[in-house]
Amino acid sequence: MPDFSLWDIVRNLLLACRWTVGLSALAFAGGASVGLLLLLLRLAFPKALDWPIAGFVQLFQGIPLLVQFFLAYYGLGLVGIQTSPWVAASLGLTLYASAFLCDIWRGCVRAVARGQWEASASLGLRWHEQLLFVILPQALRIALPPTVGFLVQLIKGTALASVIGFMELTRVGKTLANATLSPFLVFGFVALFYFALCYPVSRAARALERKMHARH
Amino acid sequence: MPVIEIRDLRKSYGANEVLKGVSLDVAPGEVIAIIGKSGSGKSTLLRCINGLEDFQSGSLHVHGAPLQAHKPAALRALRQQVGMVFQSFNLFPHLSVGRNLMLAPSLVLKLDPVSNEERARKLLARVGLADKFDAYGDQLSGGQQQRVAIARALAMQPDILLCDEITSALDPELVGEVLRVVEQLAQDGMTLLMVTHEMQFARKVANRVIFMHQGLVHESGSPQALFGDPQTPELRQFLGALLG
Amino acid sequence: MPIELDFGAVLADWPLLLRGVAWTVALTLGALLAGSALGIVCAWVRARNLGARQAPFWLQHGVAAYVELVRNTPFIVQLFFIFFGLPAAGVRLSAEAASLLAMVLNLGAYATEIIRAGLESAHPGQAEAALCLGLSTRQTFVRVLLPPALQRVWPSLVGQVVIVMLGSSVCGQISTPELSYAADLIQSRNFRSFEAFIVVGLAYLLLSLLLRQGLNRLATLWLGPGRHA
Repeated sequence: MPDFSLWDIVRNLLLACRWTVGLSALAFAGGASVGLLLLLLRLAFPKALDWPIAGFVQLFQGIPLLVQFFLAYYGLGLVGIQTSPWVAASLGLTLYASAFLCDIWRGCVRAVARGQWEASASLGLRWHEQLLFVILPQALRIALPPTVGFLVQLIKGTALASVIGFMELTRVGKTLANATLSPFLVFGFVALFYFALCYPVSRAARALERKMHARH
Repeated sequence: MPVIEIRDLRKSYGANEVLKGVSLDVAPGEVIAIIGKSGSGKSTLLRCINGLEDFQSGSLHVHGAPLQAHKPAALRALRQQVGMVFQSFNLFPHLSVGRNLMLAPSLVLKLDPVSNEERARKLLARVGLADKFDAYGDQLSGGQQQRVAIARALAMQPDILLCDEITSALDPELVGEVLRVVEQLAQDGMTLLMVTHEMQFARKVANRVIFMHQGLVHESGSPQALFGDPQTPELRQFLGALLG
Repeated sequence: MPIELDFGAVLADWPLLLRGVAWTVALTLGALLAGSALGIVCAWVRARNLGARQAPFWLQHGVAAYVELVRNTPFIVQLFFIFFGLPAAGVRLSAEAASLLAMVLNLGAYATEIIRAGLESAHPGQAEAALCLGLSTRQTFVRVLLPPALQRVWPSLVGQVVIVMLGSSVCGQISTPELSYAADLIQSRNFRSFEAFIVVGLAYLLLSLLLRQGLNRLATLWLGPGRHA
């Protein structure tokens, strides 16, 4: 068994961080796009789409992310698509992110005072003009802290992708722990690296929250 | 030809009937003060006129055209003729004062940026806030914010302005500056419907005062008649509580 | 191209699924009890307007470090550390014990922050009034400050317990016989992978619903009427 120095361990883990960050970014971008689309649809056609989209959100919030990853992985295989762990993980995490972001952002739109809708309506603005020029700019400001907070959840969620074979920090950690027979050290470092990724984002989210409350 | 014609308007919130058959004619250039206890339906009546509330039965005509509460295009056309100023100002906090004024004219009237800005500055000067073009709402006092709100409504060049208790949320010393602006509008010939508690102002500026009680127009007449010689015990009681 | 789904093959193994549900529920309830207790104690250490002298600095910072560490690392890593890592330091736990410990520590950290927010949102006069009536700081905390705080944050707490229950699905990775482990076992036998996880997914959904309902009913019984549904 090859001898792993401390530096070897750290180096391998650092390299694996790339995949963690990559998957997080991909899922966030994809989730934000789909989530925004769902939100706009939900706002535009409340009678038809409110319930179905609410159901979609409840589904993703009531099923473990691990199970969602398995469903993406085996589901794609069932339909005949050759799945690499990358594809399955991206699909699973993107859908998960879209459901949560749609829900968070809907709350933020509802948080914008009703008077803003009324004032802009009274000035003769069309619905999409109200949304684009008056409501969404304000909702965006309210949405920033919880959205950044959710990014932390997403980064942590990538760790579960290791179970369907995606090579990221946790999986590399598990492999190294087996290879070096020093799981305490290796998983200690793994935790540290996740902490290094997540803690700044958490702090940023808290700072944004404080700044937002200071203005009002 | 009355500019607003309301016949037998009825509105309910669920089982609760708030307007029980209101009829009213408003002549062009008329200034009407609407007074009454809370719950008498004053604000609801106002909000029906620009379509913020719908009604179950009766008719409402503005400039001869019937109100179609479920047709967005018709409502938008109506709202270019009928402006509204709210008790809680409802300025757009993410836009500067100038941009608050310019937003609707650019989107709805399709004005070009240069003439839009010129008009906006003139309107701000008209309400006495020429130097606040680049300020933001939260930097202004309540009275200043309300004057901006009035200017914003005027930017769409309506000929009717609905004022829903526009001074009720203001500290007493700031009420005067807003009422002065409204008085000037009245003198310039604007048709005004004002839900208000400012009796002195109504006495001075209004052509007609309407007292609403339990969803109906209870008494209607000149300020002198209504304040000087109230006919019904309800109005007497209301005035007594307010002024006594 | 028709996709043939065979749920029957999965449901035929219902004893396995039932055992999985039992383990998931047991772990969740254990985590709920111990984790909330831990959360209450830690919140007491960290909260401000309790009318009492602040806890010693080292304790406050220790709790803060624990909370931040747990909240900024994935649960699966915490679990692996406890199960694989601790033996090297002499602490050897069974899979089930490691799962429970990890869930307790996880819920405890989140509960600390949630309950702390609840305590700090109380009117400052509450603690003062209680102390002026002669109550000790412990009595003040338990009788006057804690119940309304829990009432205020009940929805957040329930949400977090549901999250921890869903997180327990990871414990199958160290062979704890909970629900997702059952699914994995079933699909390794009959290759009905998609169906297995659909069934288990729906089971989790149902469990989430029941957990929410149960906890909200508990709140009404225990904390009295109020808006915590």
